[in-house]
Amino acid sequence: MTPANGLPASKLAEIYRTMVRIAACNEKIEQLLATGAAQFQYYPCRGQETIPAAISMELRSDDYVLTTYRGIHDVVAKGTPMDEIMAEILGRMTGTSKGKGGPMHLSDPNCGLMVTTGIVGATLPISTGLGLASKIKSSGQVVICNFGDGAANIGAFGESLNMASLWNLPIVFVCQNNRYAEYTSFEESTRMASVAERAAGYSMPGESVDGTDPNAVHAAASVAIERARNGGGPTLLECVAHRLQGHSFGSDETHMDQGRLAAARAPTPIQKLRQSLIDLGVGEAEVAKIDDEARAEAEAAVADALEAPDPTASELFVDVFEDPAAIPYSGGDKPIGQEPDLSTLPTERINYNQAINQAFDQAMASDERVILMGEDIADPAGGVGKITAGLSSKYGTDRVLATPISEQAIVGSAIGAAMAGFKPVPEIMIDDFLMVCMDQVANHAAKLRYMSGGRTSVPITIRSANAGNVGRFGSQHSQSLETWLAHVPGMKVVLPSDPIDAKGLLLSCIDDPDPCFYLDAMRLYYNEQDVPTPAYKIPLGVAKKRREGSDLSIISYSWPVVECMAAAEELAELGIDAEVIDLRTLVPLDWQAVKSSVAKTKRAIIVHAATEFCGFGAELAAKLHEELHGSLAAPIRRLGAAYSPPPFALSLEKHHFPTLEGILELAESTAKYSG
Amino acid sequence: MKITLRVPKSAVSSQQGQLVQWHVQDGGIVNAGEPIYTIELEKSTLDVEAPFKGKVRRIADVGETYPVGAPIAEFEKLD
Ligand SMILES: Cc1ncc(C[n+]2csc(CCOP(=O)(O)OP(=O)(O)O)c2C)c(N)n1
Repeated sequence: MTPANGLPASKLAEIYRTMVRIAACNEKIEQLLATGAAQFQYYPCRGQETIPAAISMELRSDDYVLTTYRGIHDVVAKGTPMDEIMAEILGRMTGTSKGKGGPMHLSDPNCGLMVTTGIVGATLPISTGLGLASKIKSSGQVVICNFGDGAANIGAFGESLNMASLWNLPIVFVCQNNRYAEYTSFEESTRMASVAERAAGYSMPGESVDGTDPNAVHAAASVAIERARNGGGPTLLECVAHRLQGHSFGSDETHMDQGRLAAARAPTPIQKLRQSLIDLGVGEAEVAKIDDEARAEAEAAVADALEAPDPTASELFVDVFEDPAAIPYSGGDKPIGQEPDLSTLPTERINYNQAINQAFDQAMASDERVILMGEDIADPAGGVGKITAGLSSKYGTDRVLATPISEQAIVGSAIGAAMAGFKPVPEIMIDDFLMVCMDQVANHAAKLRYMSGGRTSVPITIRSANAGNVGRFGSQHSQSLETWLAHVPGMKVVLPSDPIDAKGLLLSCIDDPDPCFYLDAMRLYYNEQDVPTPAYKIPLGVAKKRREGSDLSIISYSWPVVECMAAAEELAELGIDAEVIDLRTLVPLDWQAVKSSVAKTKRAIIVHAATEFCGFGAELAAKLHEELHGSLAAPIRRLGAAYSPPPFALSLEKHHFPTLEGILELAESTAKYSG
Repeated sequence: MKITLRVPKSAVSSQQGQLVQWHVQDGGIVNAGEPIYTIELEKSTLDVEAPFKGKVRRIADVGETYPVGAPIAEFEKLD
């Protein structure tokens, strides 16, 4: 039988089946928790089962879904096998992420489930990248981006909806409004009557539906999905479905409106749909069979999961990077890469910023998957310092995307596109601006490979400029933040100090299977060098000995390398023969180069532009003392930026950053140290 | 098959639970989904239901407080 308005009974039965499968899965998990068999923070999806059950009716298996910690319902509906879900939740080797992700980080790219995040609002920026990939490939894939009503109040929401609208991306933003964000009701967090109203602010269609009514959700989702699939752009679809319990398993419900809660529970959306099926003539026996099958599936999944092995200790370092050798100090005596011989290549004399531009040009010419996104990067602006000049004219604005000022969406769009097979290079204009998108950088780009047990990866190159010590750029445009990023496992950190490296390291980053943070230095932009004209790569993790010496090692990276080289020449006149090591990359770290140099000279100083306190020099000094303690002839000393925000006045700035004089003084006293 | 029912962890920070009431006699049999006991956690009260049909052997005492993970009952599966 088919009701007057709505889906036929057979379709409703399919939705019902998905809903009871979700409920059975959720119930089993709650049972494991209640009986003390498992212990973890769990966010039940009870009450919200209708939403993905109805939406998934219109999805292809290659459509993308992103969800949150409360997303078991979205995961089951997209088709991830229940035994893999259960095993992951119990932290077992057979789980979706080999037990490394847990309930908050389920992912299964085989069926299009790309991200489950524990960070409120973080699905939105990443969804723009998956949508962008689908659009560029004309694959017709649609992105379902799930988030809560609370997430509608986080900045990433606005950035992402604006970008999706601007670029006409195939995304359905599904706000699952369960009326609460932890302990705060919807009404306490906004004056808007609905989230859907906000769509008008981004010139996209917005609709709010009863998220417990399968017909309503299905009807609205069908329109939105079809629009997205056919090039009509994004939709904001709000599905209102009251939470049937407190925020998490075992949390209290006293903050919830008891009348509304009771109404939502009696009957529950599942009970309501069950009754509708019976009313439509589906036999009780048939419905009971669906119930039983779902329960049996969940039962078997738990039984399997409980038998599955725990991941063993060796798994800890697998999936941090594609190649575990990139993990600091993991390499033993084995070099990570080999310095290429560039001596036979034809060269031309170009600047550091031209070398970067040339790397982009050659990467884009040879690989269509290389795309750039960032503020002002298209012509005629061509980027700050003309780094990307000419590229949009040559490769088109579909591959060189000038973005709104939306750092979270810039990095998120790159992450999503990378997960879908592209090699994006998002630009953060100046590294100080990283602060506004650190969640996307550190919690997502760096960790998604690990959290997914290696099932997804994020091969992006976040390119940014360090504007330190160019003169009077002040506290918010002059910092060196590489140490922050080196501190996040999963991120490679690359800082070229001359034009040859600027080009060769960038080409390595773009092709690298892992996320790289490539920080160039404005102070070096107009330094010239004879740079090989063809494309070449300088491997990540290979330090460069800039000067051979026997009395003292000077270890540095980025623009201070130039000062260190000048200092070494002056030291030579004083009879001190300094060796200068340019790290080039902090992660991977060429520890052997550092250690063997200091083992030889027995004396070392470390120089960098980042704040000396807790800077990268502290790491190296500690490690050198650990490994070479007995043989050192002097304590390892450091020189970084002084412990003040970068000041404006030149009279102060010159005392803030490392200077040639400062390096000379420290090097000389270390070379002459005799206890 | 026999499992041990234990004091659940209700939140990252939770430490203990107090047994409030038994819903079944020592040695009694319950069906899947029926409550076995009620336990008061730090922020909520939970009826712990039988995951399958089985026989209950009581371990803990009503009114006592136990740390997370402490055994409350043994539960033996019946067909
Ligand atoms: C950025 C961020 N801030 C705070 C939290 C802590 N937190 C976890 S869930 C939650 C509420 C989110 O509410 P909503 O977006 O409505 O989703 P729901 O939990 O209702 O599904 C908060 C504040 C977090 N995980 N991430």
